[in-house]
Amino acid sequence: MSAEQSAGDTRPENPGGYRLQMSGIAKSYGGVRAIRNADFAVRAGTVHALVGENGAGKSTLIKILAGAERLDAGSIQFDGAPTAITSTTDAIKLGVQTVYQEPQLFPELSVAENVFVGRELKRGVRVDWSGQADQMHNLLGTVGLADRVATVPVGTLSIAEQQQVSIAKALAGDASILILDEPSAILTDSEIEVLFTVIRRLTATGVSVIYISHRLDELFRIADEVTVMRDGATITTKPIGELSIRQIVELMVGGVVSESRPTDGPEPGETVLELDNLSRTNHFENVSLSVRAGEIVGLYGLIGSGAGDIAGVVYGMDRATGGRVLVEGKEVVVKSPAKAKRLGIHLLPANRSAQGSFSFQSIALNIVVGELPLLSRIPGWASGRKERSIARDFIKRLAVKTPSENQPISAMSGGNAQKVVLARQLVKRPKLLVLAEPTQGVDVGAKEEIHRIISGLADEGTAVLVVTSDLGEVLRISDRILVIRAGEIAAEFTPDATQVEILAAAAGADPEVIGAAGSPGTSGAHRASGTPASVSKETQS
Amino acid sequence: MTLEKPTTGGEGAAAPARASAHRILPPPVTGQEFVLVGVIAVLWILLGIFTPAFLSPSSIQPLLVSVAPIALIGVGMTFIIITAGIDVSVGGAIMLCAVITAKLLVTYDVPLLVAVLLSIGIGIVLGVINGMLIAYGRVHAIIITFGTANIFQFLALRVFGSSTVNGIPSTLEVFGRGEAGRTFGVPHSFAITIIAVALAWWYLRHTSGGRHLFAIGGNTQAARLAGIKVQPRVVLAYGLTGALVGLAACFFIASGTSTLDQSIGSGRELAVIAAVVIGGTSILGGRGSVIGTLLGAVLVQTVTSGVTQLGWPSQLANLFVGVFIIIAVGTDLLRERARKTS
Repeated sequence: MSAEQSAGDTRPENPGGYRLQMSGIAKSYGGVRAIRNADFAVRAGTVHALVGENGAGKSTLIKILAGAERLDAGSIQFDGAPTAITSTTDAIKLGVQTVYQEPQLFPELSVAENVFVGRELKRGVRVDWSGQADQMHNLLGTVGLADRVATVPVGTLSIAEQQQVSIAKALAGDASILILDEPSAILTDSEIEVLFTVIRRLTATGVSVIYISHRLDELFRIADEVTVMRDGATITTKPIGELSIRQIVELMVGGVVSESRPTDGPEPGETVLELDNLSRTNHFENVSLSVRAGEIVGLYGLIGSGAGDIAGVVYGMDRATGGRVLVEGKEVVVKSPAKAKRLGIHLLPANRSAQGSFSFQSIALNIVVGELPLLSRIPGWASGRKERSIARDFIKRLAVKTPSENQPISAMSGGNAQKVVLARQLVKRPKLLVLAEPTQGVDVGAKEEIHRIISGLADEGTAVLVVTSDLGEVLRISDRILVIRAGEIAAEFTPDATQVEILAAAAGADPEVIGAAGSPGTSGAHRASGTPASVSKETQS
Repeated sequence: MTLEKPTTGGEGAAAPARASAHRILPPPVTGQEFVLVGVIAVLWILLGIFTPAFLSPSSIQPLLVSVAPIALIGVGMTFIIITAGIDVSVGGAIMLCAVITAKLLVTYDVPLLVAVLLSIGIGIVLGVINGMLIAYGRVHAIIITFGTANIFQFLALRVFGSSTVNGIPSTLEVFGRGEAGRTFGVPHSFAITIIAVALAWWYLRHTSGGRHLFAIGGNTQAARLAGIKVQPRVVLAYGLTGALVGLAACFFIASGTSTLDQSIGSGRELAVIAAVVIGGTSILGGRGSVIGTLLGAVLVQTVTSGVTQLGWPSQLANLFVGVFIIIAVGTDLLRERARKTS
């Protein structure tokens, strides 16, 4: 669309100028079907956006293309010729290069070494340093870095610069297809401009770019075509100009309607938690919100939005760099999780196995471990009998499926293990319960039950803050929904908002576009911040 | 820097590219070397003042002889630690190589060269076993080598058969501390070590194989994605260490009397690791220098020998070496932490 097909001239039987054609792709992990049926075709010298909700199958598709995973079914053609990709080496040979979200670099080594590692130029057995220096000059120019950077250890560069190094590294490997996985998630606006300039420079030389991003507004500025995935299948591929943000979002969520929390509970009480312009540099800025007793506030954000970091600061795992935290009206400094617990704040951590479970220990210990002093009046003594009775109580209350409280938590399914970790937060009743991704990796039935437990807690007067990247979940259980985008509160919604509206706000849609197309049920205020996205693709040399 | 700027052509300016050819070479030293040279110089001067005999050849030569096997194995250990691994089995491996070599020399009367090559061969086998288990078993190196250390020791003690090996022939003196072990006053074992350090320095700096070791230690996952054959490289590092252990075992036999007892090699892994760490190689991997290791070995042995010559209790050497290790590792970790938070 944008650039002439300059590199695909070797294959005459290649109508449409396709660099890559993947068709009928399927892939399962164990019994889980990550991709059911995907067709994906990328033209030479274009930017092709790949979008979809978390778990739609984008990452798996990219891994198959990069040779990190093998496909179960389907075929791949390169420049019109059938190809098998069975390893990362195969993919690299074909010119498929991936720039991952987190730069995969060697912090101690210089930029030049990072760029050439694994494919060093050689003179005899020696590394040809001067040959590499010659190439470095051009590569650094292409990605917009100064020559002097070549000798600097990568660990001393900014994240944005490291990403530029990653791109240079990909180019040194003669990339014909460059995959950029959420490249903008870690960048500031001006850094994104640099990235786009680099991308345009590349497509002009015939490189195809696959661009994965949750920030849909960007796509209109950089992409030529867009493919939408949902539930492991590709839904559509269209030139970007033929779609609006709203249409893309609708394709992503598939118009699924989810019911929200019944509002028959008691009216919310006093404010328990208040954040006043809370900031943590490079994570989130000026976040103000409040949670009242008996209220469930949903904090929704896409990966990298900073929503998860807010939970970390509230629970004292990370320090805020600005703003105030008030608990029941009193300003507090939560400098450790222990302090948070003294204030009555409990956290269900996002990463169950790493942050939530003592794998080889019994369910009983996993439940009571946070409150061992409660187990006996004698300091330092923990009664095993009391431990078991508390555990049995919670196993019944939360309907944990297990033959006994002595089972190790490692033997349990995701949903049951999550209930055990949740039970730990309830042994001593919290004033504020912060839940981070409470149903990640949990089966549908258990998810339903956990949602009911959370709802019940709120009805009993606990203030609940749910941080989640699960769109259905946030709509389902929240009394109010706050959308975090790029570290700031972008919008607030009531539970009768639609998935489309919320996702559009989180993905950075132009508020006016959404506002104009808003459904009758919309009552949430749109405090969308940020600059209006320009829908037309910029003209650039 | 230059008065004549290239015409502002942006990307078209090819002139400075050639000039920067040398600048992308990795630095020849890590910086710790200069500090170590300074510390060693100060120590030697102080020792020279308080025990004037210290700076005589009859004192320095045995010092270099004692440095040689530690630094030699240290070269291999540096490779390993650069890959973010470790090998605590070298003490046991020294013992096994030494006792087999000694028995061959005494009982079967094999020629010296054959015995040395066999010792190196055994060392390679032991090192490759470690490397394979670590690289392909994906178990942490300290666990594997702690296990193999005990196994090597068991095997060595079986070969010893609960007695010393007596009557080791004098042919080994060529590696020893006597007159036969020196040329122009330089102990042969030390000269061999210097050659090994030089080759290793060149390999680490100028070959892709060497640079890959740094990449593996810096970020194993990224190294694999970059198409580096991580596992064979790791096996190579442990195999090389094994080979050097085999050679160093001969130095150890030679530096003693004609009797070999069961204390050979014991605790040497700690001296070697101390030398590497004090030499500025990061225990976290990805950064290191064999020149630093050589200097580290010199420092450790200087402290040990200096304490003895001053007539101080020998345990003080442990104290000083311990302090040096903590300073070296501490600065490394502080540096890493500073980088992460910046």
